[in-house]
Amino acid sequence: MFKKVLIANRGEIALRINRACHELGVATVAIFSEADRNSLHVRYADEAFCVGPGPVVRSYLNIPNIISAALISGADAIHPGYGFLAENGRFAEIAADHGLTFIGPPPGVIAAMGDKATARRLMREAGVPTTPGSDIVASVDEARTIAEAIGYPVLLKATAGGGGKGMREVHKPADLATAFATAQAEAEASFKDGRMYVERLIVNPRHIEVQVLADEHGGVVHLGERDCSVQKPSHQKLIEEAPAPVFDPALRDRLHDIATTATRAVGYTNAGTLEFLVSGEQIYFMEMNTRIQVEHPVTELVYGVDLVKEQVRIAAGEPLGFSQDDMHPHGHAIEVRVNAEDPERNFAPAAGTLSTVVFPGGPGIRVDTHVYGGAQVPPFYDSMLAKIVAVGRTRESAILRMERALGETRIEGVKTTVDFCREIMGDPEFRAGGIGVGWLPQYLARRVQPV
Amino acid sequence: MTEDVIAQRARALASALTESGFARLRVRDGETEIELRRARGGAPAAPAQAPAAEAPPSERPSTERRADVLVSDVVGVVRFLRPPLTEGQELDGDRELASIETLGIRNPVRSRGAGRLAAILVTDGQPVEYGQPLFTVER
Repeated sequence: MFKKVLIANRGEIALRINRACHELGVATVAIFSEADRNSLHVRYADEAFCVGPGPVVRSYLNIPNIISAALISGADAIHPGYGFLAENGRFAEIAADHGLTFIGPPPGVIAAMGDKATARRLMREAGVPTTPGSDIVASVDEARTIAEAIGYPVLLKATAGGGGKGMREVHKPADLATAFATAQAEAEASFKDGRMYVERLIVNPRHIEVQVLADEHGGVVHLGERDCSVQKPSHQKLIEEAPAPVFDPALRDRLHDIATTATRAVGYTNAGTLEFLVSGEQIYFMEMNTRIQVEHPVTELVYGVDLVKEQVRIAAGEPLGFSQDDMHPHGHAIEVRVNAEDPERNFAPAAGTLSTVVFPGGPGIRVDTHVYGGAQVPPFYDSMLAKIVAVGRTRESAILRMERALGETRIEGVKTTVDFCREIMGDPEFRAGGIGVGWLPQYLARRVQPV
Repeated sequence: MTEDVIAQRARALASALTESGFARLRVRDGETEIELRRARGGAPAAPAQAPAAEAPPSERPSTERRADVLVSDVVGVVRFLRPPLTEGQELDGDRELASIETLGIRNPVRSRGAGRLAAILVTDGQPVEYGQPLFTVER
């Protein structure tokens, strides 16, 4: 086991990793920007290094300063968390060059899965279903030919894309050229990579993802699926749950098999998530996230496994202490993302000082957060303040628990998603389950213009 | 920097100012400059923030000496010059005072002009973080 782990992140996930390390008896090193000097992740770590000013490029993405902090502190491993450098294969490589273990899959796997066109090709070769579409297209004319062959509507996607950037829906041939040019320009600007591919647009699918763990000795298990279909118009997830409600058991088994097959096929190790679009009986591979995900607690609560501790153990070379037969889900868990955003203004992010902060408690409630009364919300970072997770024996009990928990939550000083998410918990369509990714945007449109 | 961060830094500098006996202390970091002046009673005055371009030198009384705190802009290990500088040494211009070694790369720390090396705040071989005070240069 490692002696000391540097946590290359901030916010709730830095705290989450800190907790996992301390439970394993591993010392921790935090990094922070000047804007995060008073953050809880700095206080709870055994050591902390300021690595730069507020803007992420100069601090949380500052590879030389982060690696230097790891070396100076005598850390033997780096946990990247999510976001920032978590899916940067080059960072993983640099860490290895300096004798530091990167807590994640091998750099080559990160790079292959990070390039969407490559990931699709590898998955197709492994027999994993992907959406009908192309490899990288050389020109807009080639894109048009492929769009005609697979049929409209299509999705133009940047191979380096993410977070909805470099992606455009095209519903008719006349719109293709403009959409291609704007998506490509966006990808050039955001990722310095304008290579595009075309795939069939699946209308209103469910976003279902499978959590996997793979050790360095050939052990692979899945920890079931999460339904992350409640997404903002920006495609960002807002509410996630495990297991997926209203889901055919045979389809579920097939999904899990696909996920473990794919994990083995790409030589994956550590914790990972395979994201799929599910439409009726059809399953399409979308992408693989080679890191811990924001919504990992819902899986932890139904499987009773500490995913972050498993990440550290796997990276330290330990075999998984369980097999697929040992994995049995219990009950249902729902997570709500408490963001400093105004749902009435298109989820515009807000920064400022939190005055009152009261989180819920009681049976079946877990809160992962880094904020407290008087804490600053700097303008530089992700707007997530907390994750409130409710677990119950049934989906209904988890929803009722979440409604109660959100009613107890008081956050003042910035607008948050708390009340909006409570409203969603009471919505009959959400309660019925099985909604697609188009549901929340439609809900918002109805809400703005009541008939 | 956000106002909060500036305020935090100013508070930290205020105690440094109180201990140092200087009348005025200024820290520059990128676009932000923090300058503290001792009030007549002896306690540091409230921090004032001004862009680096402002604060014309003509406003400063010529008799008043100013201390610039030079901070590290990287995470690394301090490497002194051979032979090392000594406190109180006069610097005849923009001189290299030491370097901070980060992943085998030497990042020079310069005096940013002439002055008197009033204080050496680190030791040779010491690990430093971003923003850590290294030297005080009196102008």
